[in-house]
Amino acid sequence: MANQDTQILDEVIASGRRKMLALGLTSLAGIAAGAFASSAQAASFTDDDILNFALNLEYLEGNFYYLAAFGTTIDVANSASTAAGAPKITLSGTVGTPGTVTGGSQVPFSTVQVGSYAVETAIEEGKHVQLLLSALGSSAVAQPAINLGTSFPTLAAAAKIPNGSSFSPYASDDDFLVGAYVFEDVGVTAYHGAASLLTVPGNLTVAAGILAVEAYHAGLIRTTMNYIDPQGTGIASYTNLISALRASLSQAALLGAAPDPYDTNPDDFGLAPFQVSLGGGGNVTATRLTDADQTNVIAFARNTTQVLNIVTGGGAVSNGKVVSPAVGVFFPAGLNAGPNGFR
Amino acid sequence: MDKLTALMNRAVSRRKFVAGVGATAGATVVLGLNGCSGSSHTPTPTPTPTPTPKPVVFTDADVLNFALNLEYLEAQFYLYAATGAGLQASDLTPGSASTYQTVGTVTLGDAAAVTGLTPAQQDILNEIAYEEQQHVRFLRSALGSMAVPMPNIDLSFFGPLAVAAGITKTATGDGSFDPFDSFDDFLVGGFIFEDVGVTAYSGAAGLISPAGVAAGYLTAAAGILAVEAYHAGYIRTSLTGRAIAAGSATNYPQLGAANLVEDLRAMLTVGNSAAPSTAGSVETLLVLPTSISSPSAIVAADPTNAVGFARTVNQVLHIVYGSPTVGVGKGGFFPNGVNSVFATTTA
Repeated sequence: MANQDTQILDEVIASGRRKMLALGLTSLAGIAAGAFASSAQAASFTDDDILNFALNLEYLEGNFYYLAAFGTTIDVANSASTAAGAPKITLSGTVGTPGTVTGGSQVPFSTVQVGSYAVETAIEEGKHVQLLLSALGSSAVAQPAINLGTSFPTLAAAAKIPNGSSFSPYASDDDFLVGAYVFEDVGVTAYHGAASLLTVPGNLTVAAGILAVEAYHAGLIRTTMNYIDPQGTGIASYTNLISALRASLSQAALLGAAPDPYDTNPDDFGLAPFQVSLGGGGNVTATRLTDADQTNVIAFARNTTQVLNIVTGGGAVSNGKVVSPAVGVFFPAGLNAGPNGFR
Repeated sequence: MDKLTALMNRAVSRRKFVAGVGATAGATVVLGLNGCSGSSHTPTPTPTPTPTPKPVVFTDADVLNFALNLEYLEAQFYLYAATGAGLQASDLTPGSASTYQTVGTVTLGDAAAVTGLTPAQQDILNEIAYEEQQHVRFLRSALGSMAVPMPNIDLSFFGPLAVAAGITKTATGDGSFDPFDSFDDFLVGGFIFEDVGVTAYSGAAGLISPAGVAAGYLTAAAGILAVEAYHAGYIRTSLTGRAIAAGSATNYPQLGAANLVEDLRAMLTVGNSAAPSTAGSVETLLVLPTSISSPSAIVAADPTNAVGFARTVNQVLHIVYGSPTVGVGKGGFFPNGVNSVFATTTA
């Protein structure tokens, strides 16, 4: 397949993306000094750094779903994970500081719908971890410390969910869906934001494919919550609170810099219905099973600082400056990254 | 990082995508349609001679216009289902610099507002219709004078398609498949398009030039890809959830109908495309979970790595034209073909 022509094309594509990236970072740095640690760092990061950033997020998602579906972490098989055919992950990543996973337990699912979705999603997130670990090889980051226990009530309280300080996503089908909602749209925005930063065309296609899977998951979660609570008086109303919190954390991480065209403010919507005009007619009510900007209906994109600020509950920004490593909530010791990576 | 590519066994340089329209192709894939009982097909790679290459020279505008043709189709389908009317006239017109200057028409068939919806279901149809309408508008706006007009669209093709898929025996009238007849049948109609939309944008992402990437086309395409996947997730979740609620596949024939659509889509692309996903099928059959500990199959992705599929332009055309034949430029949902340099299948 590869011939000289192909290679030249690939290099042209790669250099084009890299150039755009450099421009974007230059303008960001100009507007908000300190948005990235240094221009030298920004200029030298590689596809590996981007994929390692994604790997940290997949560690987080994978362990959440494994614990909820099987009652175990991704690296320890038990009878439930084995019966479901979920891969046991060998934690082969060595870059950075290995940590432990705390909190989390098997959800006593009562409906086939939600239980089977949890099992499917766990398997798929586990495969994403495996794929990234395998692709990164000796460059892969270690699994960092991950908090899947007290992190949830902290976030739920910050989002002002009723009785949020005692919230557990492992208590019931409904609570599990709320917990899953916290992650899924974030994964979409992270992969979307990363897509144009990747320089190897094959990596772009894989990232696009994982982006699609994260959006399938997000659509699954939002659809299921809408079916359970079409009136939006219970768990569906929590989605609005969570989305508002994510949007505010994301906005804070911009530090006044111009957002991506597909990162409007707010850059997140819960399930609250909105009004639309169809075929030039009068307004009608529509659900919001898609998390996207209202005009062009293009999913939101977030940069790594925005994503870091969400998953650390505001740990990426302090006193108008970017804090690195971002620490807090799900990542009590921060993410793992190479010298030029994102944390 | 080339290892990622190797792992996926789907190198997708620009050239590889274009392979469907010209370059030397590698092995193609023959899907075994018999005995598909699992959640995905088992492919049997079979080397197949490639037809004489016929290079297609294309621009970023051509890539976006190809997507626009598909969005016209989706928007008309969902708008008719939600409201009984289609896109407004101002959303159909050609850009002044477009090669194509004739606005097409819609053959309606059974197209009409779906009846018997609950308010919650109506709101969902409204959302999807709105979102596809806005994709049409976004692409038209991005393309400006280069935007192609809506081609002729045939919404009566659902009947013949269902016959080809083995869902019904009759293409029209009593006993034919009508996606506008009920919410459940609407889900099957939407199912025909949604996974295809996801894979089409995945495939198109690699066709965008460096200049187009710098102009933001790639990010926009990735964002629309995500929205199509939200929709596909919605459709597949609904079909699965309603089948679970019905208690059995027999009680909910739409689940089986959707899987017959997947078989048909696979069959239409057998042996005729140098697909980026030649490592495996690009379909994931729906399953009916039987317990809280058995997995559903909401996500359509490769079974090894859980990475979403991509389709080439040719594969997409074979599906929307309803024809596996190479060299075909029209048919199915597009009776006069798409308004595109890619209109005729070349592989």
